Amino acid sequence: MDRRQFLLTPLLLPALATARPPAVAAYATPKRGHVLRFPADHGAHPKFRTEWWYVTGVLDAPRAELGFQLTFFRTRSGRAEQLDSPLAARQILFAHAAISRAGDRLRHAERAARTGLGASYSTSDCAVQVGSWHMRREGQGDGERLRLRAEDRVLGLDLTLTPTQPLLLQGDGGWSQKGTRPELASHYVSWPQLQVEGRWRVEEHSHAAKGHAWFDHEWSSEVLDRGSVGWDWIGINLDDGGVLMAFRIRDATGATVHAHACLREASGRIQRYASAELSFVPLSHWQSPRNGARYPVQLEIRFGQHAVRTRPVLDDQEIASRRPLPISYWEGLVELEGSLHGHGYLEMTGYAASMAL
Amino acid sequence: MMRLGWWLIRAQFLARRGATALSMLAIALGVALGYAIHLINDAALADFSRAMKAVQGEPDVVIAARDGAGHVPLALIDLLSRDEAVAVLAPVIETRVRIGDTPMLVRLIGLDPFSAAQLMPMLLPDQANDAMGRLLDGAVFASPALAAKVGADTTVIRGAARWQTHIGGELPAAPAGERLLVADIAWVQAHFGPREGVGEIRIRLHPETPLAAWRASWAPKLPAGIELRAAADNQARVSNISRAYRVNLNVLAMVALLTGAFLVFATQLTAVAQRSTQFALLGVLGLPPRQRLLQVLVEGLAIGVPGSAGGLLLGFGLATGFTRVLGGDLGGGFFSAASPEIDAQTLPAAGFFALGCLASLLGALYPAWLNRIQPLAQALKTGFAQRQRPGAGHALGRDLLLILVLTVGALALTRVPAIADLPLGGYAAITLLLILGIVSAPLATRALFGALARAWLPAPQKIAVQNILQAPLMAQVAASGLIVSFALTVSMVTMVSSFRTALDQWLDAVLPAPFYMRSKAVPLPAELLADLARPDSPFLRVERMAASSFSLDPQRPAVALLVREIDRRQPGARLPFSGAVIDVAPTEIPVWVSEAMQEVHGIAVGQQLRLPLLGRDVEVTVGGIWRDYARQFGAVVMSADDYLALGGHFEATDLALWPRPGQEAVAQSWLRGEAQRLGVEAAASGEIRELSLSIFDKSFAITHALEAAAMLIGLFGLAVTLAASIWLRARELATLAALGFDRAMLGRAVVLEGAMIAGIGLLLGLACGIGVGAILTEVVNPQAFHWRMPLRVPWTQVLPVAGLTLLAAMLASGIAARQATRMPAARILAGAQ
Repeated sequence: MDRRQFLLTPLLLPALATARPPAVAAYATPKRGHVLRFPADHGAHPKFRTEWWYVTGVLDAPRAELGFQLTFFRTRSGRAEQLDSPLAARQILFAHAAISRAGDRLRHAERAARTGLGASYSTSDCAVQVGSWHMRREGQGDGERLRLRAEDRVLGLDLTLTPTQPLLLQGDGGWSQKGTRPELASHYVSWPQLQVEGRWRVEEHSHAAKGHAWFDHEWSSEVLDRGSVGWDWIGINLDDGGVLMAFRIRDATGATVHAHACLREASGRIQRYASAELSFVPLSHWQSPRNGARYPVQLEIRFGQHAVRTRPVLDDQEIASRRPLPISYWEGLVELEGSLHGHGYLEMTGYAASMAL
Repeated sequence: MMRLGWWLIRAQFLARRGATALSMLAIALGVALGYAIHLINDAALADFSRAMKAVQGEPDVVIAARDGAGHVPLALIDLLSRDEAVAVLAPVIETRVRIGDTPMLVRLIGLDPFSAAQLMPMLLPDQANDAMGRLLDGAVFASPALAAKVGADTTVIRGAARWQTHIGGELPAAPAGERLLVADIAWVQAHFGPREGVGEIRIRLHPETPLAAWRASWAPKLPAGIELRAAADNQARVSNISRAYRVNLNVLAMVALLTGAFLVFATQLTAVAQRSTQFALLGVLGLPPRQRLLQVLVEGLAIGVPGSAGGLLLGFGLATGFTRVLGGDLGGGFFSAASPEIDAQTLPAAGFFALGCLASLLGALYPAWLNRIQPLAQALKTGFAQRQRPGAGHALGRDLLLILVLTVGALALTRVPAIADLPLGGYAAITLLLILGIVSAPLATRALFGALARAWLPAPQKIAVQNILQAPLMAQVAASGLIVSFALTVSMVTMVSSFRTALDQWLDAVLPAPFYMRSKAVPLPAELLADLARPDSPFLRVERMAASSFSLDPQRPAVALLVREIDRRQPGARLPFSGAVIDVAPTEIPVWVSEAMQEVHGIAVGQQLRLPLLGRDVEVTVGGIWRDYARQFGAVVMSADDYLALGGHFEATDLALWPRPGQEAVAQSWLRGEAQRLGVEAAASGEIRELSLSIFDKSFAITHALEAAAMLIGLFGLAVTLAASIWLRARELATLAALGFDRAMLGRAVVLEGAMIAGIGLLLGLACGIGVGAILTEVVNPQAFHWRMPLRVPWTQVLPVAGLTLLAAMLASGIAARQATRMPAARILAGAQ
């Protein structure tokens, strides 16, 4: 069977979540001022509706134009909440892996399972598994590592990520606002500038891996307001050791509903930019031959005195799915140019179809 | 030379149109029967596995509980899911349920849509309208065959468990004709169990994983009561289901082919005899002996080639028609009634074609050899020469030795156990026995008629006796057809009659109650059992049984587990034991196993067994072996008390009911009403008995047709050889006529000769037939079907057939005699010079 026919992606999470108001499932809401504790908060937060552990990275060898991505998503669907069964599909996990190379097409694979039937997570530390794919934190102090493993027919990732910098708590101490209403928020922790070692594989060609990665862990119950259709997001490891994260949430006209950016310089100095201090300007588009969606793959982002531009290593890094729902998004490796320079990932959702989060 | 060969074949066909056509027909029938069985079975198996693939997907491995009450624990799923060799892991809970209070029984498949999408996509609803979400929310989806019949809101019932749900939509890709419901595995588990696990997990491995090594690494880690089946095991299981039945039908096809070979033999032998002068002339003119041999072989092939070709066409037609009318189970009841598509492939067709040609060559071999060794001078002068045996005493000793060797061989072969589940030894013994019958024909002839020849007899009779004694080859050929055909007829009649008598007695023993009720593989509704237990119910006594199954060997069909309300001290009151019954110590759990278990698994009375029940290995003791004609793959009976003590749930699927005296009519109508309402089967024991016997009679009806065909072929062989031998003796008859014998006297002599040959044939055929019947009942049936039965010869059927055959043989010889004596004696005598 063609895997593309049943591509399960994070963007399908909302489709799986029930249409009933969240109150029925009693989802937790992110609280401003809530103090995150580690390693427990590296673990899962099953009371929240959606959660992801998201690793993107850029490998140096053979050149800096090879990107990888491994993400584990958890959704509490709100279904079968009252069902008295250890198999009830209350928590569903997805994992998605992709490798982008200039001059090649996007390679990707995924896994999906409910907890108890092939998937599991820990609530005390980062340890999440779907089938044989897993992501977990190991060791303490200098020995602290993130272990990633995802083997499929089309690609393979077997990587160890070693921290070189401290965690970056996004927003206000890890509470990240997504809109005007206070409920529109997430808890959001980043761990940028991780050193990558291990092996990567496309089909049967396996290579040593060396490079830099970015780890995101975010959990929420509601992030898109009525009228919002999607978001643009970047997470970039800067060449000088700094890190840049920026996102905006758009409405159907393409106007920004909410935006935020965070720049941590190599020195450790952090600057945050609110909606008003931030602008996203599309410079050039790439049109998907699959669904006609036009993605602004070259985006100019202005904040403070900075102006940066994204340059994709590959125009077509769209992930398109027809089943269960026709949903597509763009997620891929870009080079950042302008006043800051580095490599990282750009994610653009809601261009092919409205995101009904 | 080619032209000469062609010319001879043409002349031969024209001269013996009837015989040639019949030989061709027999070859064609043999090829057709074998080929049709092959095609139908192939189609049925393909159809069966297609349906199975649609429902089961194509997993490389299935890990399942070995009995219906067991489960695959969640911990094992967790462990397996982390194995990198596992590409897809699809847990499944499948059960049979009733829809509402309707008489509909359907399969309910609980699956995990995430894994099913990759392994069993045909069991998933369309992706429109959030079907996936509704599936997770507890809606059930129905196959097209079922969707039309159920309402939106429905209750799914299994025994006492009820699940109020609604139909979420259709399963557009589900196999047509299958009645099934699909639901999310968690909802099925919550309502129908198993509590701590799933029924089975289906696994697709990564393509480069070596299956055997993977299997070996996991096998020791599996808990008791769990079995790991590879895809090949499943195929073996399916193929094993109908194997014995198929092989027996194929043996019938072989018999038809051999009959064809025999007919070619008879035809060619007479042809060689009749044309000996021609061949001798050709020989003198320079036709080498090798060419004479080849000519007869080519003539045999000339019968075989069109016969086989016709057989292939006929077989294809038979298979197509048969599957249209009866479905693909060859009448064996093993597969669904769906009519499968016949797919003719070149290689099997070529194989059956070659078999038909081989049979015709085989038949022509001996006549061809005889033709080669004909002394030319003598053949030119006096026609066909039957070689006299050198020294009667020496021949007698040799015959006796041969008979002894054959007898010992046949007896030894009956002792050979089944090879690959097939009674090959038995079949070989039957072949030896038939050869034995043919070989002993001359000896029997001499023994019976030798004394008669010395006695004073009127001239015509004396001539007949002398003729038989002095031309043993022709008599042997003529008789051998009858020996074989009558032996086959007697054996089949004997086998069927023994089986029917045994079945009749068995039905008496297993149906002690006046009424029965059953619900196939689904527990009977709880309220029905409650109603039966009420004091005002018309039943005095109700005995419950729960039928399920478990797997002893992944490559074999499952064994039935019958948990019964049975008195462990007196199991003989309910089970028809075929041997000793022992008392089992109170500390041990007795089980009573069917003869098939004894046959297949070599289980003996008093033996300790470990059965995979309730998810673990349960130690039991065999208390006795009983006869079971209902479950070919074995059955184990355990008392309900023991099963409950082991922690099992006793959910009745079958009931035996005794009405209160005087309330029989009320009881019967009450049962009928309930059966109608709940879709279960209810019947009086008399009806079950009648139905069983009528099914038996129907399934063996075809053997009567085969018996008739065998007898006709045997008679035909007799007639052809008699006619040939009389034709050869035309001069002798003419001389007799010249000496003053009138035609009536000559006719009487020939008819008597025919009757005596037929008599010998029938006598030997009867003896062989009883022997073959004994092998069929004592060796073939127990080994192939695991059914034992006492031997019973139905004289009332055998003797009339023998009488009729004798009359027909006399009639045939009469006709032959009339034709032979029609020509004026003077002309024959003159022509002979």
